[in-house]
Amino acid sequence: MAQVATTAPDQAVESKPGRGPIDWWGGHRLTFVGPLIFIVIAAALRIWMQGNAWTIGIDASSPGFTKTYRMLFWSEITSSAVIGFWWWTYLINKGRKIVDEEVPHEVEVRRIANFWGLVSTISVELTIMASFWPNMDGSWHQTAVRDTALTPAHIPMFFLFFPFGIILTVGTYLYGRYWLPKVYGAAMGFPWSFFLLISASVTEMMQVAMNEWGHSLWITEEIFAAPFHWPFVLYGWLAAGIFALWAETIIRLLGIEAEIEEAESTGGREAVVA
Amino acid sequence: MPSGNAVDEGGRGMTTTEEQLEQAQQFERLKALVDKPYRWIDRKWDAVFWISAAFIVGAACDITKLLFAGDWDFWTDWKDRIWWPILTPFALVIIGSALQYIQWLAWRFPTGMTYTAICLWPLATLGRWLQWGNFVHYPMNFVWPTTMVPAGIFADWVLFKTKSFILTSVIGSAVFAFGWWVSNYVMIAPFLQPAQWMDRILTVADIQGISFIHSQTPEYLRIVEHGTLRSFLGETQYVALVFGATVTVAGYWIGQFIGRMLAIWPIGRFMKKW
Repeated sequence: MAQVATTAPDQAVESKPGRGPIDWWGGHRLTFVGPLIFIVIAAALRIWMQGNAWTIGIDASSPGFTKTYRMLFWSEITSSAVIGFWWWTYLINKGRKIVDEEVPHEVEVRRIANFWGLVSTISVELTIMASFWPNMDGSWHQTAVRDTALTPAHIPMFFLFFPFGIILTVGTYLYGRYWLPKVYGAAMGFPWSFFLLISASVTEMMQVAMNEWGHSLWITEEIFAAPFHWPFVLYGWLAAGIFALWAETIIRLLGIEAEIEEAESTGGREAVVA
Repeated sequence: MPSGNAVDEGGRGMTTTEEQLEQAQQFERLKALVDKPYRWIDRKWDAVFWISAAFIVGAACDITKLLFAGDWDFWTDWKDRIWWPILTPFALVIIGSALQYIQWLAWRFPTGMTYTAICLWPLATLGRWLQWGNFVHYPMNFVWPTTMVPAGIFADWVLFKTKSFILTSVIGSAVFAFGWWVSNYVMIAPFLQPAQWMDRILTVADIQGISFIHSQTPEYLRIVEHGTLRSFLGETQYVALVFGATVTVAGYWIGQFIGRMLAIWPIGRFMKKW
């Protein structure tokens, strides 16, 4: 088993005990916090729907539906747009300021851990969007009459978790581009890994349009595995690019270890920090 | 594992071949690599990867199953002997195959199919329980999901023994399809028992399908055995199963494409112009 060395040859940045770059509640904190946010949101929406989906949510023409589900739809669209715009803007503005700064290995390792936290969040978010809500989609639409595109099953799935798939994948790329320039810096070009992952989330969102058009044209409720649902699967496979993200950053981590080893054997502690 | 100092142990005349010595040296080299003290790499990275990947792997397998074969997996009366043994193993093997490639390439672990199965099970069960049972109030013994755990273990065992993706695609896919059928037949068998219903003999599963109506789907007793297959009587399921094993080979190579081209190929590749 690989061991972490007890000595710290490149201890350039002091961390609080238990908050170091590779501590669970240090660099890896986002691995817990990020997924938990989306799990809590999904659980809250699901619990809320338990009490009203089969009363208010069943009739899209009722005033109650407008005040609850349609309001939820608009809230989701608005909050997704605002949060996405704010986060991407922050990442670009802040990123442009820090991208050229040389940082110690410890800081870069912490950033890689943060990056893995974002990737974990994407993994959990895509799970909620591709497994948790589709199960409700199947149970609802094979049971309830479809009288709107904005059904109770669709509203959280298509208009909250689908947009956040785009927000997270693009945001994670921006983080990689500016915070991990040695892996995803602009000079290297656009990574295929992110191209595939972002394409998965964007094409899934676009497929919603075809899905609703298809449901307005055909009555296919009997067959959940209807052919016009298949693009959801085909586009989803593009998310396999997420594995390349883990690989690319672990390669950089090994590179950092090699740099430390080389510096220790030739130049000593000061060289390691640089 | 033989060790290097066993060449002549205690003068007992115990000798070893050059090949064994080479193996011992290789073992020591690998052990030194595994035990190498790293500054920033520890087992936490492994934990973050395996647990984070579990979500997206399970979700990818679930959505592939839901939208390619979902109807035959949702209800016991749809778990027939014509389409169920063809569509479900085809859909399940795809992501399992991709993970088999990734884990074999990265670690020589013949575990990808089993890993996928273990990832799928909690997500599929949670979806059925929360969204079909708790939300729409179908009994769980009507909407239980299939398992691919035994089938996955068998397919991984084939890769472990053959060390060949081509052989695994042919033998392993057949083993997967048959293993899937046997392990799930245990669960469907009680629902295939004959029962009297309004002076007709039906299966328990048929009666479930009539009693727990899918109110947005056509209401009828499914006639699933068309054409001359019906005259095959008990052979029908075996004919379908053999064809299912054939189709599963195609699913296996779709999964290989995902693993090779969408997960591994993009590692470290960048678009210079876009």
